[in-house]
Amino acid sequence: MADGGGWRVSAGGAREVGGTSSDLVTRLSEPSSKEEAGWASGRAAQRPPAQASFSLQPPRPCETYSAEWKLCRSARHFLHHYYVHGERPACEQWRRDLANCREWEERRSAEAQQSLCESERARVQAARKHTLVWALRQSPPADWHLPLPQEEKDQ
Amino acid sequence: MAGAPDESGPGSAAGEQMQQQHVACQVFPERLAQGNPQQGFLSSFFTNNQKCQFMLLKTLQTNPYVKLLLDAMKHSGCAVNKERHFSCEDCDGNVSGGFDASTSQIVLCQNNIGNQAHMNRVVTHELIHAFDHCRAHVHWFTDVRHLACSETCVRDRAILSILAVRNISKEVAQKAVDEVFESCFNDHEPFGRIPHNKTYARYAHRDFQNRDRYYSNI
Repeated sequence: MADGGGWRVSAGGAREVGGTSSDLVTRLSEPSSKEEAGWASGRAAQRPPAQASFSLQPPRPCETYSAEWKLCRSARHFLHHYYVHGERPACEQWRRDLANCREWEERRSAEAQQSLCESERARVQAARKHTLVWALRQSPPADWHLPLPQEEKDQ
Repeated sequence: MAGAPDESGPGSAAGEQMQQQHVACQVFPERLAQGNPQQGFLSSFFTNNQKCQFMLLKTLQTNPYVKLLLDAMKHSGCAVNKERHFSCEDCDGNVSGGFDASTSQIVLCQNNIGNQAHMNRVVTHELIHAFDHCRAHVHWFTDVRHLACSETCVRDRAILSILAVRNISKEVAQKAVDEVFESCFNDHEPFGRIPHNKTYARYAHRDFQNRDRYYSNI
């Protein structure tokens, strides 16, 4: 899961905390100095680290971790990954995440929750580490929905 | 690829901007036509147009890459309307389509798109440009690095794509792609990964639909 910067919205699509149904909505991190926060980023109140165990449920359903692990280990993925990156894919982390997810769901293990959240946060950070070439917009282009020039003339 | 002129660009860029727009207009001649560009004088244009419309509808309804892009754009405030944001037209040369940022339209070359699979690829490609335009200030005409960034998937293809719509040398195109490659190759938005095939695209769409739960639970 990568951070879209511009488009990511919190539940209800509102920018403010008050617009969301849950006050567990958290900001992942400070917007990095390399990247502007887009208007739809849903970065609401920052949750102090001590409340890490207050997540209601795993970030993804456990079936998702299982599917990702399976896809990662498939021959086709190996070929794609090797072709693009020149090295084998690393799938072990999905397996660990799957185990932690199951621990979380079945035993509400705090350690498993912590581990899983750390792993997902690391994924988000890894996806963000490159500086964008362009500046993100603060709102969508004003003319996106305007009628076409000839339609205006017709009207 | 046609693009919106940069409104805030300095005067010195205006000359180059006009020149690059001229090149784009040569490939998409109907873009400046008076009246509705979709209705030609001869009935043979109508047949190509019908085929284009039909294939476009099928792509919009069934292709997993396109469905994710449409969803992502809707949530970025750029909901896509088939009649408003797509246009089937005849084009010169071998170009399959383009994104016209000045009118917020995706142009589909009805005389060059041969089959459904081709339509799927063209619509996906152009929607990515539209998505980039929606979420960022992309200087389509005044900064070739921005164009390179939106085209980056495979390095050599990015270079070819740029050369198709800009009157610049191969060396300039190569340099632009090289400068931005590291950053742009790793920007997988809105997919979150390189969607090698429809399975990856479906997983990406699944993740997109799950994003509220995801970000509120990590």
